[in-house]
Amino acid sequence: MNKITIDPITRLEGHGKIEIFLDDEGDVANAYLQIPELRGFEKFCEGRPVEEMPRITPRICGVCPGAHHMASSKAADAVYHAEPPPAARKLRELFYCAHMIHSHVAHFYALAAPDFVLGPTSDPAERNILGVVAKLGLEVGGEVIKHRAYAQDIQAAIGGKATHPVCGLPGGMSKPITEEERKDFEDKAKSLVEFGKFGLKLFDELVLANKEYLDLIVGDVYSMNSYYMGLVDSDNKVNFYDGDIRVVDPDGKEVARFRPADYLEYIAEHTEPWSYLKFPFLKQVGWKGLVDGKDSGVYRVNSLARLNVADGMATPLAQAEYERFYETLGGKPVHATLAFHWARLIEILYAAERLLELCQDDEITSPEVRTIPTSTPDEGVGVVEAPRGVLIHHYQTDEKGIIQKVNLIVATVMNNPAMNMSIKKAAQGLIKKGQAASEGLLNMVEMAFRAYDPCMACATHALPGQMPLEVVIRDSSGEVKETLSRNLCSEPHPIKVRVVH
Amino acid sequence: MKEAMKTLVLGLGNPIVSDDGVGIRVAQQVQGMVDQREVTVEETCLSGLGLLDILTGYDKAIIIDAIQTAEGKAGQIYRLEPEAFNATRNVCSTHDVNFITALELGNRLGMALPRQISIFAIEVTDTSTFSEECTPGVREAIPVCAGMIVRELNSASRSL
Repeated sequence: MNKITIDPITRLEGHGKIEIFLDDEGDVANAYLQIPELRGFEKFCEGRPVEEMPRITPRICGVCPGAHHMASSKAADAVYHAEPPPAARKLRELFYCAHMIHSHVAHFYALAAPDFVLGPTSDPAERNILGVVAKLGLEVGGEVIKHRAYAQDIQAAIGGKATHPVCGLPGGMSKPITEEERKDFEDKAKSLVEFGKFGLKLFDELVLANKEYLDLIVGDVYSMNSYYMGLVDSDNKVNFYDGDIRVVDPDGKEVARFRPADYLEYIAEHTEPWSYLKFPFLKQVGWKGLVDGKDSGVYRVNSLARLNVADGMATPLAQAEYERFYETLGGKPVHATLAFHWARLIEILYAAERLLELCQDDEITSPEVRTIPTSTPDEGVGVVEAPRGVLIHHYQTDEKGIIQKVNLIVATVMNNPAMNMSIKKAAQGLIKKGQAASEGLLNMVEMAFRAYDPCMACATHALPGQMPLEVVIRDSSGEVKETLSRNLCSEPHPIKVRVVH
Repeated sequence: MKEAMKTLVLGLGNPIVSDDGVGIRVAQQVQGMVDQREVTVEETCLSGLGLLDILTGYDKAIIIDAIQTAEGKAGQIYRLEPEAFNATRNVCSTHDVNFITALELGNRLGMALPRQISIFAIEVTDTSTFSEECTPGVREAIPVCAGMIVRELNSASRSL
């Protein structure tokens, strides 16, 4: 195989790229995922008061503002040594359950479902949410929009702003909720529980009842034996907002359980010259390259990982679905990458049930939502489960609370080694002997990546308003054989524009 | 006399990532220049499905966003209709659907979306550095684009 050096300029085109390298026989020798990274975040933050961080960090991306806000608020609590009162913790968790639902619903119905409702190799013009709605009926689309809006309403009411929450302060929340709001949230939560059940029923009918899809999920092409990492509560149940970080090995055995503040003792980061993103790995196992198995420190986060590290779900309906998940897929842990989707649906149900519990909690409308910080600020770590997996914020300040140093490890970066490996494995399993790779085949390679729900925090908003991705296939001499582009900003696209200035 | 059209001026983008925030800067300038009661100015970093909620309930929307084209010059301003994005509709590996797909979904579901949507797009250079400032060429386009939008709003209100 010819060695290809990737020009750094081409790495910064502002879009994600999957590069597939073929060998002399035309089989896949290697595949790489390139994700552009925003620059200068640390510098941007240095010199600002730490209490600004929960308002700045949600701006990092338009996809997970709620996750950054919560991780940042928790880190700011820790910097000021100010433990939020119980009502504030519950209110944050309530907000956060709504955030999780909002994010997961979009991913499943708009991005995952088209591959299963229409089929992985169906006409790409139909393989989108419009195709899903056309096939399943308008009322399904209506339910999706309605319940996403419910989750959004709850976030906006608590968060104080529709998109960028401003409610979290060091030591708690800026304001309590009223009884009227509580009642409204409770009604919405009840409806969300039903919607959560509906999603799982839909998955049963569409995916599990279809042998071809089930085979695809459990098949080797989309499987990877890795470690898993996620937050668990004191009973080792899944928790999105708080808990210890638990790690299990590829056999499902606990190998670490630690306080988030100790993350640097467990997580290290490898770098590769061809990637802007780092490659986090488990320190105790070590970096052995992009390989799976027990000897390699590669671990995964996100929905499937959360279920794999936990002993169960803390709510009854989600627990029953959890048990069915492992019965169907052959016991714990599940290594099937496409099972991230199913796990996500179980999490929607859990988040809705937990949301309802919190809405019915006597303390939830308590006005005691703030511990006023009194000690000198210094350093703190805040961790939550972002929809995409473990999210770490770590701040160091001077004695006035001014940021000196910032370290963020985001979930998409944690999954970076695994995504590269999953893409390579799918490409090797699907593209053989230099056959012309059809759009459908390349979509099936992308499915390996899509399952992780990655967030490429680049210019999400530049028109045409969707994250561009490019799949490039190169032959053994490095020549580009085929390119599949999805809405690349840097490519001329057939838009008629009128230059008015 | 016709009834005033309820109009939304919506700046899109990320105000802490250099030129990506240009739409928001324009919206902020427009905010200070209009006084019609029927005009609401908002800013958001949402995209895809998230935009549906914001657009619901307006008769007309003017959206301002950043764009990168193959041969564009920084600061160039384009005027687009949403139909122009038909060719790009696709499911993509990101977390959301594109704008035109979201609009079409909203229309099929019978949501009260604006009958008239126009988009002002500004050609940008840097969308990957954290900064609250746009690059110089893009910065110069901000008052120009805001002026165009204000003239459009004024002429719409005069024609009533």
